[in-house]
Amino acid sequence: MTDVLQRIESVCPECLARIPADLVRCGDRVLLEKSCPEHGPFSTTIWKGEPSFESWIRPKVPYYGGERQQTGKKGCPYDCGLCDRHTQRTCTALVEVTSRCNLQCPVCFADSGGAATDPDLDSLSRMFATIVKQTGGCNVQLSGGEPTVRKDLVHIVRLAKEAGIDFVQLNTNGLALATDKNLALQLKEAGLSSVFLQFDGVDDTVCKELRGRALFTSKCQAIDNMCVAGLGIVLVPTLVRGVNLTQLWDIVRFGLDRQPHVRGVHFQPMSYFGRFPEKFTPDHVTLPEIMTGLAEQSGGGVHVDDFQPPGCEHALCSFSAKYLMQDDGRLQRLGGSSCDCGPIPAEKGALTSIGVTARQWGGVDGTGTQSRENEDDLSRFLSRARTHTFSISAMAFQDCWSLNLERLQGCCIHVAQADGRLIPFCSFNLTARNGRSLHRPQPQKNAC
Amino acid sequence: MKLSFLPKDMDWTCELCRQKLQPGFVELHYAGNVFKVELPVCPQCSRVLIPEELAVGRILEVEQLLEDK
Repeated sequence: MTDVLQRIESVCPECLARIPADLVRCGDRVLLEKSCPEHGPFSTTIWKGEPSFESWIRPKVPYYGGERQQTGKKGCPYDCGLCDRHTQRTCTALVEVTSRCNLQCPVCFADSGGAATDPDLDSLSRMFATIVKQTGGCNVQLSGGEPTVRKDLVHIVRLAKEAGIDFVQLNTNGLALATDKNLALQLKEAGLSSVFLQFDGVDDTVCKELRGRALFTSKCQAIDNMCVAGLGIVLVPTLVRGVNLTQLWDIVRFGLDRQPHVRGVHFQPMSYFGRFPEKFTPDHVTLPEIMTGLAEQSGGGVHVDDFQPPGCEHALCSFSAKYLMQDDGRLQRLGGSSCDCGPIPAEKGALTSIGVTARQWGGVDGTGTQSRENEDDLSRFLSRARTHTFSISAMAFQDCWSLNLERLQGCCIHVAQADGRLIPFCSFNLTARNGRSLHRPQPQKNAC
Repeated sequence: MKLSFLPKDMDWTCELCRQKLQPGFVELHYAGNVFKVELPVCPQCSRVLIPEELAVGRILEVEQLLEDK
């Protein structure tokens, strides 16, 4: 028994033509079903289990302000960057500082073929300045490829700070941070706030499966070095069914044990970017499966209804919750017990998210974490909270099977281009099943 | 330990009631935590004066802690 919950627009996974699609309930699942006149029907699960799809709403009043680079004449997702259809401002701008990488992961959405020339420092400087001018201020993530393969990465961080970017985050696999003890200190000194550390599990079985190598010891060494430097660390697991869904809580536990420097865990279910076989059937890990998994694996430490839809991006793109870990190890959820799910201005949501993210994911001073005896209750609470708040969140990226243009139009994570365009992340990485990319300048190897 | 936020100059008057504010204990509830603090209170309408230093200092910090994305 199926029923249509919502009519949306998507693309054909074969030819990327824009086609209508339905979100259809089928038991405890919600499927995205669509049919291309030329290439036939496609279906993928986008929601499974609790909380219910119908309950997971957080409507936004669209934001059409700011400078728009595109007219939107071709329509979504063909002329992204940003067009006048886009309903959200930039919360985080990604700057890809290289396409080179020191890992060859079986799973990777970034273009790590290494074919493109790295942008030079002047170009990056201009990009940072443009981001500040166009967005009026946002968080910036340095990404790649693997940014640490650049010998001038410290200088790049300094340039971003000089351009007026308050919160600069590094997206990395951590290998260079493990082997070079000084790198974390130099990055911190240059103004880096936070590191988005690829961290798929708490043993080498997971690393070998997803990254092709035993990396766990290296990850631990990188974390130790970042702790010494005082960088905020966010553990970022790529989730793949059959590989690491049983380690959700182990990963959180690992992070909690390394407070105050590990500031949270941000799960990213694997998306299917790149080239895939003709008969390929996607198997997306959905957000409710992560929420339920966390609640079950934590043995009641966290609960499904702790997690809230975002106020910035589209509700179906993410969830998050923030906790305070008490002296006895219990987790106390911070924030409202239920979201304000009435329509909120998208811009307000984005501005809140920029601040909340920077405060939560940035580094904290780990010295003097013991509260003093003569402190009053409020001061004691705040002392603890400054070092022991911890966020658990997830973001579900979209690919050619799961793309929902309404979500794309509300995207707040934008990949900055040298020509000034800000391209929504899932549009920038979108590829047809044969690997053809809409916006990336060069073709990718088999990657997802 | 007592939490007291009484201004050095307690010469404050409630504009609505025209009553002089008096020291009084108020409960602040944050995320299941209750903090009993001493603040200037109107003896008639029970309105509380939260000094600027507290409002833009520790109270703001607590509010930011509780803010969801």
